Amino acid sequence: MTLTPQRQVRAEERPPQTEPSRGPDRFSAGAYPWVMAAAVAVSVCGAALSLNGVLRGWAWFLPVLTTVMVVSLAMAVLRSVRAQPVLVPLGGLASLVLILTFTFFRRDSIAGFIPSDKTMPALGRLLRRASETVLAESAPVAPNAGIVLVTCAALGLVVILVDALALPLGMPATSGLGLLAVLVVPAMIKPQSVGLAGFVATAAGYLVILACSQWFAPDARTQADTARNPGQIKRAALTGSVALVAALLLQLAIPGFNQGTFPQGSRLNPWGSSNGLNPMISLGNSLRSPSGDGRITYATNATEPLYLRSVTVDRFDGEAWSPDDRESTRRAGPGRMDVGHEILAPEQLRQITAVNTGEFTSPYLPAPYAPEAVNGLTGRWSWDPATLTIKGIDTNSRNQQYLVLSSSPKLTTELLNQSSAPVQGVPEEFIRPPANLPEIVRTTADSVTQNSGTAYAKAIAIQRYLRAGDFTYSLESPLQGGYDGNGLSVLADFLTQKSGYCIHFASAMAVMARVEGIPSRIAVGYAPGRLTGATVSVAGQGALPEFEVDARDAHAWPELYFQGLGWVPFEPTPSRGVVPPYAQDPSSGGASTNDGNNDGLIPTNGATPPATPETPPLPLPGTGEGDAGSQLAPLLYGTAAVLVLVLVAASPRLVRGSIRARRLRRPASGRNGQAAVPLAWAELLDLAADYGVPPVASETPRNFSARLRGSPALSPDDGGEQEGAASAGSIQARSMDGGPTDAGRRAVITLTGDFERHEYGRPGTGQAGPDGEGDPTAGDQTPAQQIALVREALRRNAGLMARLRADWLPPSVMSRWGWIAGTPFRAVRGVAARVRRAVAGLWDKVRDGARRLREG
Amino acid sequence: MEPHRRTVVNEVLQGGHGFAGGAAHGGHQLNGHKPVELDAVAFRTASERILSAINTVIDGKAEAAKLALTVLLAQGHLLLEDVPGVGKTLLAKTLARTIDCSVSRIQFTPDLLPSDVTGVSIYNQSSRQFEFRPGAVFANIVIGDEINRASAKTQSALLECMEEHQVTVDGHSYGLAAPFMVVATQNPIEMEGTYPLPEAQRDRFMARISMGYPDKDSEIEMLETHQATSPLERVTAVVTSADVAAMIATVQQVYVSEAVKEYTVAVGRATRDSAMLRLGASPRSMLQLLRAAKATAALDGRDFVLPDDVVAVAESVLAHRIILDRKAASTGETPQSVIRGILAKLPVSQEMADSAIAHRRAAGSGQPAPRSGRQTPELRHSR
Repeated sequence: MTLTPQRQVRAEERPPQTEPSRGPDRFSAGAYPWVMAAAVAVSVCGAALSLNGVLRGWAWFLPVLTTVMVVSLAMAVLRSVRAQPVLVPLGGLASLVLILTFTFFRRDSIAGFIPSDKTMPALGRLLRRASETVLAESAPVAPNAGIVLVTCAALGLVVILVDALALPLGMPATSGLGLLAVLVVPAMIKPQSVGLAGFVATAAGYLVILACSQWFAPDARTQADTARNPGQIKRAALTGSVALVAALLLQLAIPGFNQGTFPQGSRLNPWGSSNGLNPMISLGNSLRSPSGDGRITYATNATEPLYLRSVTVDRFDGEAWSPDDRESTRRAGPGRMDVGHEILAPEQLRQITAVNTGEFTSPYLPAPYAPEAVNGLTGRWSWDPATLTIKGIDTNSRNQQYLVLSSSPKLTTELLNQSSAPVQGVPEEFIRPPANLPEIVRTTADSVTQNSGTAYAKAIAIQRYLRAGDFTYSLESPLQGGYDGNGLSVLADFLTQKSGYCIHFASAMAVMARVEGIPSRIAVGYAPGRLTGATVSVAGQGALPEFEVDARDAHAWPELYFQGLGWVPFEPTPSRGVVPPYAQDPSSGGASTNDGNNDGLIPTNGATPPATPETPPLPLPGTGEGDAGSQLAPLLYGTAAVLVLVLVAASPRLVRGSIRARRLRRPASGRNGQAAVPLAWAELLDLAADYGVPPVASETPRNFSARLRGSPALSPDDGGEQEGAASAGSIQARSMDGGPTDAGRRAVITLTGDFERHEYGRPGTGQAGPDGEGDPTAGDQTPAQQIALVREALRRNAGLMARLRADWLPPSVMSRWGWIAGTPFRAVRGVAARVRRAVAGLWDKVRDGARRLREG
Repeated sequence: MEPHRRTVVNEVLQGGHGFAGGAAHGGHQLNGHKPVELDAVAFRTASERILSAINTVIDGKAEAAKLALTVLLAQGHLLLEDVPGVGKTLLAKTLARTIDCSVSRIQFTPDLLPSDVTGVSIYNQSSRQFEFRPGAVFANIVIGDEINRASAKTQSALLECMEEHQVTVDGHSYGLAAPFMVVATQNPIEMEGTYPLPEAQRDRFMARISMGYPDKDSEIEMLETHQATSPLERVTAVVTSADVAAMIATVQQVYVSEAVKEYTVAVGRATRDSAMLRLGASPRSMLQLLRAAKATAALDGRDFVLPDDVVAVAESVLAHRIILDRKAASTGETPQSVIRGILAKLPVSQEMADSAIAHRRAAGSGQPAPRSGRQTPELRHSR
């Protein structure tokens, strides 16, 4: 740290020198790493502020803050001790791992912060939890440990990325990319987008980075960038192309723009058919999806159109509806399931359904209602007695083939009409009307049902209201109306605008039913599918016709509870699904049966008017574990991929830069430091190699120096004259014109002279030799400055391609790597040659012996 | 014997020291007083005066002149080998004349006797004892013309003096003058009745120079300047022999680093390991190579030797000592080309080797080492 004052002084005294030297010692400034680390930390924390709203509350901010701080600090420390630039991001990664371990796996690690073999399972648990959260909840999600872990890891990576862009790569402007990666999340997920505070904080942090890199740059490099630097256009082009590539990659990686203020976009998800954050949210997207992702086939002996049901939503409070898994009451093993309430219907219908989920990936298992037993599953599954949803414990629905035995009461209008007994034995959450219910919902419900006596009549009235001509089925209008998704305010909008799709119809009916005192919930899954024409052989049932459904069949519908009959599905959505016979409006007769029903949905063997209600099971539209990660995991992957890409692309450059910095750092310890001379010479050799004048082993330093000066790299105009001129005087004369090329040539001469004296001169004679006239212009400069002059001259004379190559694929590094890579081959070749010689020698001996034998 | 020995210049035969005492002197070392070293400027002035004086006489042979001076300052002997009429003798004479010192010239013929070279003890009638009459070798600079025409015996006598810097006659040793330098010329064209120097004796010469033909302009100029009078007439001594002794002392003080010693030894070993050579360079030649390099460094204004200096003199110093393999000779190789090849392959220092090793591929085979043999063009930025 004692170097700090010197360094600063040097930085200040340099500006008067007009040469825009690219300072080789730019990593070594004392305060610089600390200031930059602080700037990066501030900016990333600022960007993280905008995540409020994606994550609920502020509890997550403290771990994020510590993570960002620790990673920044670690890198700053590494930098201040002048570690190799490559080591700095690696150190940052290591510190990230340590702090994450410390924060989240303190008990499962060694000494509280060193990952151990117990950490991985714990990590797996948390990640699974995060993915479940992502799957199950819509923004803002609860900041449980898994989510916070993922957030912290992502932000830590962003810190490293931003740092790498701003410091070793010297492109502080592009560090905005890393910050942008953070902002993309709230921009996509939060309805109100990034938000002013988050944006301002991020922009401020970004400006801090830019300002610090400008003010504290320890050399003229970045300062020179602001004016007439020949490398400026190149760097600008480079920045632009990196940004473009990153934008294209991000587009592939992120889940899509259908929330928040970004216009609707389509999603490209390379990780399978998963596409959602929340079944409720993803439903609309599935329906709009032009492709049939998540295809499920099933074969059933049911005579009615079969709904596959995945999950139910029963909490209608708040702005975001999501499934409640009731983890505490779930039971393991769906082999035997029990509806949990009394069924008084005289006749039970039992169906067997064989389901093949194929690529469909979700933690919830699509099954017809009400499942009694599910056989043939792999992995561990649990079921919820209250809703009969089946959920994977450590697995998901991908590639499952299973047999569902389901039963439901044979429902008739009469039975339902009779079910007027007060509801008993249903959990409170299915009954309670949502708090702060919009007034329009209540008034609508009351006006619709005012003439209805029984609960069943009310339900039918509500369904009729929704299926009547006032409401239109549309996937687009909610989007344009700005009320897509779910929630009470969305419901109010829907009732006003009278246009929406199944989720709106289902939620409207469910909420209105609750208002009228009927327990209700929303089931999410698949509407009845289409016949594929194939048959599936099911044990004991013979060949059953096969149906298929995919994302386009995703559906939601209400289930209402009737005492003694259990949960009864209804179909309020016009033009979707099949209205069960018991739910058909007596007043409209059979007309409503076909009203809006999908033609192809009715199975052939169920073509007769439906008499019994099939439980409408609805599979989730493509949602799944795979997706679960999809919201954050792609970001993680994306960030990591961009980071790796940038690092890999830059690594020869980084290595070269670090070599140069290490070599030229030495002069700081003393201007006449003898050790500096050979290091500067080595740097000169590499520099020349980078610009196409590689040294030759048999060359003397002087010959090399002359060749370098005579090469086009340093005398583009008149190399021949230079070569021909024999006297030192001509050099002196030429140096008078004082261009950068001449400065470079002079510097080469000085460096060569210094090196010769150091290498071959009498020890201890220091700088000036006996001949020491010295070069008055160059003699008082440090070797590092000389190198900078040479570099400047070389750059000036090199073409664009040569400069790019010298910067990004410097031959001095690449060929050394090539040499190292070739070592095994050379060794093999050497051994082979030795063997060949030995064999040849042996053969000669044998031949000689034979001849001697013959002659003797 | 008189007709065969023509002493062209024999004015300042300094017999005073050397043979009078009769004691054996130390050989190589400058005997008697220890000369003062010159500082860089004085050395440079003196060397430039000598070289420019020579260049006024011999046109277009600056390199040869410089090498001759190098050999003089390195206390070596010079073998000038070339076809007749290219100025071998003129060079030798001019060098001798620029220095204010004793010069003798021996025209070697088959019937020249060893005693003509070394001297002979003659019975003095008046003093009634044997007196030593010094031979032609008792001079600072001895020019031996057409040395290969003399018999092996006479050659040996001269070579012995060259090596030992003394003459032994009748049990007495007489030290030779200092500085002492033999400039011998030899005609490489096969001729009747010549005795080419055996390899072992060529080893005594520090360097061999082939003069070569002058270029066109130099030749035209030569025709003009040499028409009326010999320019040799106009040459006067520009330095004293004491100056030369001081210069020699300066050269001896030139520093030789470990790296250069290693490089020199590496050159020698490379000649011995070379498959193209039947006989490599001897350890003595290494010594001479290094001494010549020191003189080169001093003439270049440095007080330390660079590998460049070694390279600069290597061909002249080594080429006449090595013997080509028959196979190599049949493929048109010459000793010079072999030396050049060795130098072009030999890594100069670990730094250069380390740095270059990786770049070998990048450099490509099409980029030969820029080595111009005898001269390194790059001494010009020296300060």
